Amino acid sequence: MKIRMEKATILFNVIGYLVISLLAVLCLLPFLLIITGSVSSEMEIIRDGFKLIPDQFSIDAYRAIFSDPKQIFQAYQVTILLTIAGSLLGLFFTSMAGYVLSRKEFHFRNPVAFIIYFTTLFSGGLIPWYITIVKYLGWKDSYLALLVPPMLSAWNIILMKNFMKSIPDSISESAKIDGAGEFTIYRRLILPLSIPGLATIGLFLALAYWNEWFLPNIFITTESKYPLQFLLYRILASAAVLNTNIAGNLSPDFKPPTETLKMAVAIVVTGPIVFLYPFVQRFFIKGLTIGAVKG
Amino acid sequence: MNRKYARFFAIVLALTLFTALISACSKENKPAAESKAAESSGSETTPAESSSASDPAKPDISKKVELVWYLLGDSHADSPKVVEEWNKMLEKDLNTTVKLNFTTWTEWATKYNLLLTTGEKVDMIFASSWADYFKYAKQGAFLDLTDLLPTYAPQTWSTVPEQDWSEAKVDGKIFAVPATYPEFTPNGIVYREDWRKELNLPEVKDLDSIEAYMDGVKKSKSGVTPIGGSAWNEVSTLFKAITGFEAIGGDGNSVVVAKSYDNPRDIVAYPFTTEFADYAKRMKTWASKGFWSSSTLSVETAAGDLIKAGTGAVYWRNPAGAGGFITDLKKTNPEIEVAYFPFTRIQNYAVPNLSINNGMAIPKSSTNPERSLMVLDKLRNDPKYFNLMTYGFEGTHYSLNADGKTYVAPPKGVEVAQDWKKYDIAGWGWRYEPNMLKEEGSWDGFDKLTEEFKAISRPSIFQPVVLDYEPVKAEQAAVNQVFKQYGQPLMMGLVPDVDKALETYRKKLEGAGIDKVVAYVKEQAEAYYTERNIQ
Amino acid sequence: MSRLLVDLRTNKVLWLMIVPSLVFFVIFSYLPMIGVYYAFTNYSFEGGLFKSPYVGFQNFQFLIQSGQLYALTKNTILYNLAFIFLGNALQVTCAIFLSELPGKLFRKFTQSFMFLPFFLSFVLIGAFVFNLFNFENGAVNTFLKGIGLQPYDFYLHTAPWKYIIVFFSVWKGLGYGMIIYLAAIMSISDEYHEAAKIDGANIFQRTRHIILPLLVPTFVLLILLSLGGILKGQFDLFYQIIGNNGMLFETTDIIDTYVYRSLTVNFDIGMGTAAGLYQSAFGLVLVCAVNYIIKKTREDYALF
Repeated sequence: MKIRMEKATILFNVIGYLVISLLAVLCLLPFLLIITGSVSSEMEIIRDGFKLIPDQFSIDAYRAIFSDPKQIFQAYQVTILLTIAGSLLGLFFTSMAGYVLSRKEFHFRNPVAFIIYFTTLFSGGLIPWYITIVKYLGWKDSYLALLVPPMLSAWNIILMKNFMKSIPDSISESAKIDGAGEFTIYRRLILPLSIPGLATIGLFLALAYWNEWFLPNIFITTESKYPLQFLLYRILASAAVLNTNIAGNLSPDFKPPTETLKMAVAIVVTGPIVFLYPFVQRFFIKGLTIGAVKG
Repeated sequence: MNRKYARFFAIVLALTLFTALISACSKENKPAAESKAAESSGSETTPAESSSASDPAKPDISKKVELVWYLLGDSHADSPKVVEEWNKMLEKDLNTTVKLNFTTWTEWATKYNLLLTTGEKVDMIFASSWADYFKYAKQGAFLDLTDLLPTYAPQTWSTVPEQDWSEAKVDGKIFAVPATYPEFTPNGIVYREDWRKELNLPEVKDLDSIEAYMDGVKKSKSGVTPIGGSAWNEVSTLFKAITGFEAIGGDGNSVVVAKSYDNPRDIVAYPFTTEFADYAKRMKTWASKGFWSSSTLSVETAAGDLIKAGTGAVYWRNPAGAGGFITDLKKTNPEIEVAYFPFTRIQNYAVPNLSINNGMAIPKSSTNPERSLMVLDKLRNDPKYFNLMTYGFEGTHYSLNADGKTYVAPPKGVEVAQDWKKYDIAGWGWRYEPNMLKEEGSWDGFDKLTEEFKAISRPSIFQPVVLDYEPVKAEQAAVNQVFKQYGQPLMMGLVPDVDKALETYRKKLEGAGIDKVVAYVKEQAEAYYTERNIQ
Repeated sequence: MSRLLVDLRTNKVLWLMIVPSLVFFVIFSYLPMIGVYYAFTNYSFEGGLFKSPYVGFQNFQFLIQSGQLYALTKNTILYNLAFIFLGNALQVTCAIFLSELPGKLFRKFTQSFMFLPFFLSFVLIGAFVFNLFNFENGAVNTFLKGIGLQPYDFYLHTAPWKYIIVFFSVWKGLGYGMIIYLAAIMSISDEYHEAAKIDGANIFQRTRHIILPLLVPTFVLLILLSLGGILKGQFDLFYQIIGNNGMLFETTDIIDTYVYRSLTVNFDIGMGTAAGLYQSAFGLVLVCAVNYIIKKTREDYALF
């Protein structure tokens, strides 16, 4: 049963564990600091900087965030729905485009790929884009302005194409001989074989939707439609503005804790989406191709 | 089988596209209609005017109108309810409703720019000298209100002082209704008075005593950095105060200054003056004494927070800001005693804010400027409207004292949660002093200071010079860049060798085209002084 | 053109499948692209986009006015090259380890941890950097003092900042970038591994001869994708770590931060667009050149 491990494998594993553990700790540590920081007292952070174990415990920052709990939960709801709908739609269109670009039969794949890639290079800037969405599409204060623009990106499509290119041509060719149409090949054969790729792009899309705050900032005017990120950014921004010259004009008798607030915001925002990654990991399965060909 | 599938798919796809297009088009219809209306009403402002001219006493309000207003800042959780009530009143009185939007503070400058540049329908927007009012007005983003005001905002037209109107003028035209709220916001510092007394340090009254104060604090209080956090504001405003240099236009960080209030035409770039060289050397000694930290240009923490934390002593504030800080400190750290020193005591004169420090303007894209002005007129002058929109619901958000001039928030006899927030929206644009209420229990030093400033008040002659740097924008951008890279570290005493750094700074400024910028500012200022008969 | 028509007919379904994406890019990218014209006008609210006066290349002048364009361009490119190559190298290494190491739970947890920095906003990272490196109570100096060494004033020296910035950029993108490689490794057919094992190849040989070559297309692709943005910096990274601290600009200023600073006081649409156009044009030329070379050597690796 037990096979003697090769020397090389042992060496590989030792190096691997060391490197990965070190990096994982480097990545985890700041996060722990943020968690403890978010429940520290503001004054302590200002005086002594970040600490792993705070002397004084305080939930002021969270209170500032949850001062209107109804609003926060509403915002969570908006964000979650947008993330789910957007990721699924995005995944659908991205995978189709990626599939088409990966097909050798598609003679115009290079020009089309260029047309798509070109959009990452040049942009007309914020203003014409804003005019397109507000004036021509009429999406001011509409969820569509949050749902549609992040749906497709050249980067995702090209990555998708790359994942699908690694699927042996023999699979689609044999299916074609069996008389399968392109869409059937895409749906029945290519999609199941691209699960790791789909999971990756799906994760990227979900993260993009989850983290989006700029779109609501410029398009949404009704407060109940704010997604989570923007709602929290807004709290941070108003806290920050109290430190500037404009402050003279503002009601000066409310000042939320800025430093701890930053951290509490990070925790509240990251909260649910952190669990997405372990979920996505389940789709990183080796050896899909073999199963497909045999099955 | 497969072909069928493909066809099915093609149909689905076609349908998706079709619906997408339809929804796009149908969505497009509304704003398109609106923008058409905008065009027509924009060009028809004259007919509307002439029709009212025939009956100037009563503007026509038979058509129901929905307006879009934007305020710069944040809303309050109860704003929707308050606005709803306001709309009920407006609908009754003016056959109008207003959709009140807030830019919030996130990237507000970007948003403000977008709203004005893209021609989106906005009927009124907060305008202010600190939000580029002069630039936008000069470049044509706002509607000229000069002729509309007497007809559609008659009360406002007669109550706003002539001087205030003139300060809001650009090229002789009025592009915004300034708030009527005389205010002084000179620079100054809040400092720990208890430490000064404890250490027997001299009264703070000039540069030397400030130095002595910080020196004493630094030496006796271990772990204290006198100006904790970012010290730039403290140091740069102090420089202007002791030299008497006055920034021209709204930008306080500009390197082009008038040498003194009495010689407004003597305009120079201050880095080339001996005053600056001396000051930079002095600041170098301050920095080496540890009055602020070497990372001061990177610190995000406000110096005031460090006073609260017990590790700072000095904090730059204007009187209103100082008032807020002191009131707050009384709550959080009652053991700390602070005092306020306005730099006007060094200069011996105070300049009031421009009226257009806060105001309301109508963008070009407005479809109903007349009605918007009527709403503003009502809002400013009718106490019922004013109190509702400025202070919220009486009884819920505040209660009025018997004198009718002061209020209490939270209202008397109402139990509120710990996180209760005073009703406060960005309503500075419609301030009208006679209607304003004073909050009970605010910092008592504030009124005394205002009296002090009024006694030494001199009219604002530098701020209203309109600078948009159009002919020299490349030079101005480069100068701005050099200022940040070489000027700021030099003034903060962070450079190893002041003389060398000064030489580099001056050379870089010359390379960036500072001469052209100075010439431009001179020209604009001269033109303004001549127009206003200022010597 | 006729070739296109023929292809439209023969690959009807494929075209239909990509049309939604094309429509999307036309609406959200190509239509607004008209805006690059702002770069050549002196914008006025009266004239809008098309009726504002045409000023030629005047808006580009501010880039050269201070004589720093060359230094800025160089800085930006060097930083981006460091981000791209160090980042990808580390991501590949981690992906290989994580796909080969035994210990499912270990892999699962460490992988999740590595993703955490991605969620931290640059604002927070800026705060971290300050807390690590400031002279008074920064963690690094506290440590140096603790072991009896002289504290080092990071904020008065420009030298360490390039390493700090590169470190945080690579650190933040590690988990995100690694996933792409991990997914690519997952799509490597097991047959290759089995065959190699039978041949007696050890894990290093398998990595060297099987995994790495199969990751090359992905690697090349990611590099190509990044090259287009070689003059565009991660503005937030630099801005939050360095901010307005002129002391440190010498080694840490990139085009984006420079443009931002130049235009903060007096924002100008024309100048902003002009700077963007310079960055884009540079990226386009570079990508096309590199893509051309790759196409000549290995056609299937090319981007388009």
